[in-house]
Amino acid sequence: MKKINFKNHWMRKATALLMVVVLLSSCEQKWIDPEINIDPDSPGDVPISLLLPAIEQAIGFTLLGNDAVRPTNIWMQLMDGVDRQSFTQARYQITPADMDNYWGSMYTDALINAKIMMDKAVEQETPQNEGVAKVLLACSLGIGTDLFGDIPWSDALKGGEGVIQPEFDSQQEVYNTIFDLLSEAINDLGQDDALGILQDVIFDGDADAWIAAAYALTARAHLQLSEVNGDFAAALSAVDNAISSVDGDMLVPFDAANPNPLQQFMQYRTDIRMCQTLLDELEATSDPRIPFYFAEDGNGGYSGSEPTSQNGDASYPGPFLASQTSPTVIISYAEVKFIEAEAAFRSGATGRALTAYQEGVAASLEQVTGAVDADWMADNIDGEGSLTLEKIIMQKRHALVGQLQPFSDWRRTGIPALTLVPGATKTEIPRRLPYGQGELIYNPDNVPAVASVIDPVWWDQ
Amino acid sequence: MKRFVFVLSLLLVVGINLMQAQGVQVTGNVTSAEDGSALPGVSVVVQGTTIGAVTDFEGNYSITVPDASATLMFSFVGMNTQTVALAGQSVVDVVLETSTLALDEVVVTALGMTRSEKSLGYSVQSVESEELSKANTSDIVNAISGRTAGVNITSSSGMPGASVFMTIRGAASITGNNQPLFVVDGMPIHSQRGDADNTARTGGSTVGREGSSSRSIDLNPEDIASITVLKGGAATALYGLRAANGALIITTKQGAAGKQKMKVDFHTSVGWEKVSQLPPRQDQFVQGFDGKWIGGNAYSFGPNVDTMSYDGDTDYKWDKYGRLVGQSDPSATGEQARMYDAYDFFQTGMTVNNRLGVTAGNDIASYYFSVADLEQTGVVPNSKFGRTNVRLNSSAKLTKWAKIGTNMSYSNSRAHTIQAGSNTSGVMLGLLRSTPSFDNSAGYEFPDGTQRNYRNGGGYDNPYWTANKNGVDEQYNRFIGNVILNFNFTDWFSASYNVGLDTYTKDTKDIDAIGSRNLPQGGMEEGLMISRIFNSDLLLNFHKTFGDFDASLTVGHNMYSTGYKRLYGDAIGLEIPEYYQLNNSSDNTTGVYRWGYRTMAVFGDLQLSFKDMLFLDGTLRNDWATTMPENNLSALYPSASLGFVFTEVGALKGNSILSFGKIRGSWANTANIAEPYNTVPAYVAAGAGDGWTNGVTFPYVGTTGFEVAGTLGGAELNHENMRSFEIGADLRFINNRISLDVSYFNNLNTDLLLSVPVAESSGYNAIYINAGEMESKGFELSLNATILQGDFGWEIFANWSTIDNTVLSLAEGVESIFLGGFTVPQTRAVAGRSYGSIYGEDWYRDPDTNRILINDDPSDANRDGYPMTNTGPMVPLGDTNPDWTANITNTFSYKGVRLSFMFDIKKGGVMYNGTAFAMNYFGTHGRTVNREVYYTPEGTIDFAKTPEENLVVFDGVYGHVADDGSVVSSGIENVTPVVLDQDWYQGQGSNFGGGPSAASIEPSDWVRLRELTLGYTFPVQRKIFQSAELYFTGRNLWLSTPYTGVDPESNLEGGVNGQGMDYFNMPGTKSYTVGLKLTF
Repeated sequence: MKKINFKNHWMRKATALLMVVVLLSSCEQKWIDPEINIDPDSPGDVPISLLLPAIEQAIGFTLLGNDAVRPTNIWMQLMDGVDRQSFTQARYQITPADMDNYWGSMYTDALINAKIMMDKAVEQETPQNEGVAKVLLACSLGIGTDLFGDIPWSDALKGGEGVIQPEFDSQQEVYNTIFDLLSEAINDLGQDDALGILQDVIFDGDADAWIAAAYALTARAHLQLSEVNGDFAAALSAVDNAISSVDGDMLVPFDAANPNPLQQFMQYRTDIRMCQTLLDELEATSDPRIPFYFAEDGNGGYSGSEPTSQNGDASYPGPFLASQTSPTVIISYAEVKFIEAEAAFRSGATGRALTAYQEGVAASLEQVTGAVDADWMADNIDGEGSLTLEKIIMQKRHALVGQLQPFSDWRRTGIPALTLVPGATKTEIPRRLPYGQGELIYNPDNVPAVASVIDPVWWDQ
Repeated sequence: MKRFVFVLSLLLVVGINLMQAQGVQVTGNVTSAEDGSALPGVSVVVQGTTIGAVTDFEGNYSITVPDASATLMFSFVGMNTQTVALAGQSVVDVVLETSTLALDEVVVTALGMTRSEKSLGYSVQSVESEELSKANTSDIVNAISGRTAGVNITSSSGMPGASVFMTIRGAASITGNNQPLFVVDGMPIHSQRGDADNTARTGGSTVGREGSSSRSIDLNPEDIASITVLKGGAATALYGLRAANGALIITTKQGAAGKQKMKVDFHTSVGWEKVSQLPPRQDQFVQGFDGKWIGGNAYSFGPNVDTMSYDGDTDYKWDKYGRLVGQSDPSATGEQARMYDAYDFFQTGMTVNNRLGVTAGNDIASYYFSVADLEQTGVVPNSKFGRTNVRLNSSAKLTKWAKIGTNMSYSNSRAHTIQAGSNTSGVMLGLLRSTPSFDNSAGYEFPDGTQRNYRNGGGYDNPYWTANKNGVDEQYNRFIGNVILNFNFTDWFSASYNVGLDTYTKDTKDIDAIGSRNLPQGGMEEGLMISRIFNSDLLLNFHKTFGDFDASLTVGHNMYSTGYKRLYGDAIGLEIPEYYQLNNSSDNTTGVYRWGYRTMAVFGDLQLSFKDMLFLDGTLRNDWATTMPENNLSALYPSASLGFVFTEVGALKGNSILSFGKIRGSWANTANIAEPYNTVPAYVAAGAGDGWTNGVTFPYVGTTGFEVAGTLGGAELNHENMRSFEIGADLRFINNRISLDVSYFNNLNTDLLLSVPVAESSGYNAIYINAGEMESKGFELSLNATILQGDFGWEIFANWSTIDNTVLSLAEGVESIFLGGFTVPQTRAVAGRSYGSIYGEDWYRDPDTNRILINDDPSDANRDGYPMTNTGPMVPLGDTNPDWTANITNTFSYKGVRLSFMFDIKKGGVMYNGTAFAMNYFGTHGRTVNREVYYTPEGTIDFAKTPEENLVVFDGVYGHVADDGSVVSSGIENVTPVVLDQDWYQGQGSNFGGGPSAASIEPSDWVRLRELTLGYTFPVQRKIFQSAELYFTGRNLWLSTPYTGVDPESNLEGGVNGQGMDYFNMPGTKSYTVGLKLTF
């Protein structure tokens, strides 16, 4: 008995000691290794070539996609909202919540990544990538300021430096920034670059195409300011170097795996139809673009919804606008030609204006229908004797259906003269979009007080 | 840390050298005072330790105590616990008195330590196996509902396996986890629905897909011996940072040591479930618009059905009777138009549950083995949940002073869930929006594979399509196991080591058939996730008695690691119908997610008691965690509690009116850590979306893309801090027949770690920082009374609690944080308000009186006599939290019959009835039936012809909104009668028409008969049975609520922080179960 006890006693001691050893050894710092807290699925850094397609996709899908395109095209009576939120918007009700996603995406998807790309390009001395980043920044800022007015830029994108409530730049300052970025970009893109522009889904790395696009955006920016300090000469001189054919259109592509935003909207929500107002305008000349802008309706024809009539039987957006593979358009050759036509017309160069106008319509037909219907051109466009601003803007409107520019052109020129829709909840058609909800909540001291979406932006005078 | 370890090890080494004595064997017999019969199953525990034994069938026990002067504690359900100081005795026979109430129960506290409830300086509540077993819920969390105070449990719906949301004493974190820690036999386990439990297809959003179960559902309720709910910081301090939200200490059944024959328990039950409450639907107006029938139209604003007939066109494929036409139409067949009850869709669900348990043991070893199977079909056709459990708990003596125990459980949980929520394929969306003149049940698919629904193929899925063709299959194979070694080195020094693993694989398949409205091209996802938790606890216990003082010290060490890896393959655009393989599409995406962290801790717990009257308990714990910044990995925090049994003081002793009285107080300071991967900035796979569509992702046009993460991680993070304070009293009257327990608690959470949303112009959505303070305080009251004893027994058990959970502050410049819901409305955490407030749009109101403005300006676009939506910034619309909750259980017994029923009451709190608000727009809601209006030739309402019940005068004052946006109120009471017609319901009377969410906020109070059980125990049986019991249990048999939608115990996103949202939620259910329990 004693022996066993003794043995037990010895074993107990050994076991107790072992427990202490386990306790001490397990305290070894290896268990708490800070490396474990690095997310295995999120790289700490990425090369420029992985940022570029993300920025292009964000611009193409979000900035040129549903949240801004739908309300503005509805208000321009190019489309109509027949159900749910789209119907509400058709009656001019649009809330900060409606724009929250759009506003956020503009900064957190497009702008910040373009800025990071620009900074990385400077650091890595790759001027062409620097130029591409600047073009993308300029085009995003242009879209943003045209829709919202004053927006943050000088103070923006500095969350990492602790600036979480950026001040807003005036629209005029934003336009100065846009001009600076584009002229720097044109310079940067002209330089030799051993790295080159990789993974570019817009121009496949073609620096000359980027330069032409930068000129086109410069021309657009000058014209956008037509009512405040528009410089038509500068616009015309930019046009000289801008996109010179339909092949040079600045497009963001989509495919079956990642389909066009409006196509997806129609697939999942179906609340949009083409507008009767647009159909009336196009049918007046039997415009060949009708089957491309309007899908066949249930009767095999093309029909529009009268604004706010909730005509769900009207045509869906057609194959040019809403196929899976329809690209979204940042800026096109057709638009460049209409910019040229307007700038020339308003500076008295009517000959140049007329030629550009006819080339613009032809470019649009080529872009939309794939061919230029010479007979139709002859009947309706080429024989044009006396050009008017209205004709230019109306044809530009018909060329840019589904884009944001018709909303800007209407605000600048008042063309076409649209009437208030039945059931309107506002006394005028909106002239801007409300700032996103998040900005109102989280940056309340800096967001400019805008009484209503019918208030004009700075250049809309 | 190094110094602490050094001191600790010095202590231990000294301790070992001092070891001399060894265990003493104590034996004895336990009998009942009432009839002298032997008492099997009595728990015998060495006070202040985890050493214990159980009496065998003859009431005999044998226990090795570390010290001949130890105190043994004998406890048994329904008997008064007795403590006996050994004082050198080796044979102790005990006679237990029947207690009126379980007076001094032994409870399992943190780290599995058994403590006398009397000695605790904080409040705990236990739920026993009997209650869990008969509640007959598949998830044990639902079975706890209504049995405790201060615990809030919400089931997301009545779907089989629906997730549950549980908080103890309110929320401690703003956006992080608020649910308690579950510990099974010392092993912390996964218990909730995690983010990773959603399929990848949900993206970040949970508003629009199926909800996974909470992982607490993997436990077999029958295996559980008891659950102790640890509520306050002092109770959970030893668990450290993972138990900031309280803890559920679950003890499973163990074998009984001693010479006894095998005991077999068999429990079988069958249950039926029915939908409890559904939103009312109108059955008077057919499909169409502006009073005209339009086939395939979205709305039910067509003509009155009484005026309609069919045209009898058999080629019209949407309705076998043909199109609807007016009864005087030449093509009318004369057949009266029909209306259909959409709710015929629901079926009676059924649950079959079989459980077998075997308990046995001898002097050396004992075991508990169980196997159980649950098969459940839901009220929605094809929804299913099933579970199979196997458990083996065994224990064996290694030597006289060492014991090994293992607890091993395997579970297989499988579910087929049907799409719910805000999604064009959600069952409730299609069902509630369907026009009553369309028969959904008359086929959901045409021979060509296209869909038959009320929208002529568009809009929403026919609910039968969704239920039959789509859904998610998920299967969890889970193993939870641990090994526990116990060593009794000397009479005053023992140790235990508990090491365990909780691991599961989740296998999912998510299907959208070709032709489904949310993915017309069809799609599917295969997912596989492997999750694991490793935990190791080493405890060293020291115990010594000095005269009237008793001291025990526990020091310990914990290592914990958790993580998962999830792989998925997604295919969109299927080629071959009904073939669900990834190779059935050219558009495949695959991905992998990984997540994990580790922690380590060293801790100590010192318990001192004086004369069984004064109890002091102090703990200290230091934690290290990988999720904190490298220079700030560790945190040290203390707790202290004091219990004073004042009825032990001379004059008060032996008083039969106040037979027992204790006051207690505790204080604790605990910490919590950051979520993983927030200490370094990162890039993430890019993608773009707009909230309407599936968006776009990468790979994209042959490229890969990354973008900077939306949440900016910071290196300067500190631990979250929680200071909790609690005082309370435990009073028992009239020989313990009535007991009353009162607690007041106050938790202050500071330095809360969260993703603070920031203005996105900063380039980020959110910044992860220490920001915010939240307070949770309240009272808890528990009453237990034995009104009648003897042949006819009557007991009452009641709980009442109120919790005030307020967000005190958020980060600089941040007033509000999104918790759940939609762009409008949403549940938010807002500084200065209750945690979980609903924000949304409101009507324009008189700025002085706050009364609703009723438009009086004939010149503006708003209709006169109606209120107007203010689309300005969202305003608070109500608090989702109740003012108080209560439950009361009455149990009557007469001989073998036992009847018990529990009422559960929730007072206060609101919910967004987005379902009704949307149904208005579609003209299907019951309230839209009073819509008919007749106009005079002048265009004003013809009061003579318009039915009076259709006229409404809005409560408010006249006013309007001026062109400059300012509010103009006349202050004059509105008396203009108006009609709630189609224009109203498609305008401001609904969410889609631009109506404010405020119009759809409803109180969600309730009184419900949560549970009713009627049981009969057969009188002394023949040889084969030791006992037999037949029972009936009903759950949610009766519900009274002002809420007009489904059962308000529901939430759109399931078990998450954003509560209070109802948007086409699945309905709740009531169930009826019959069961039989046999013991052989």
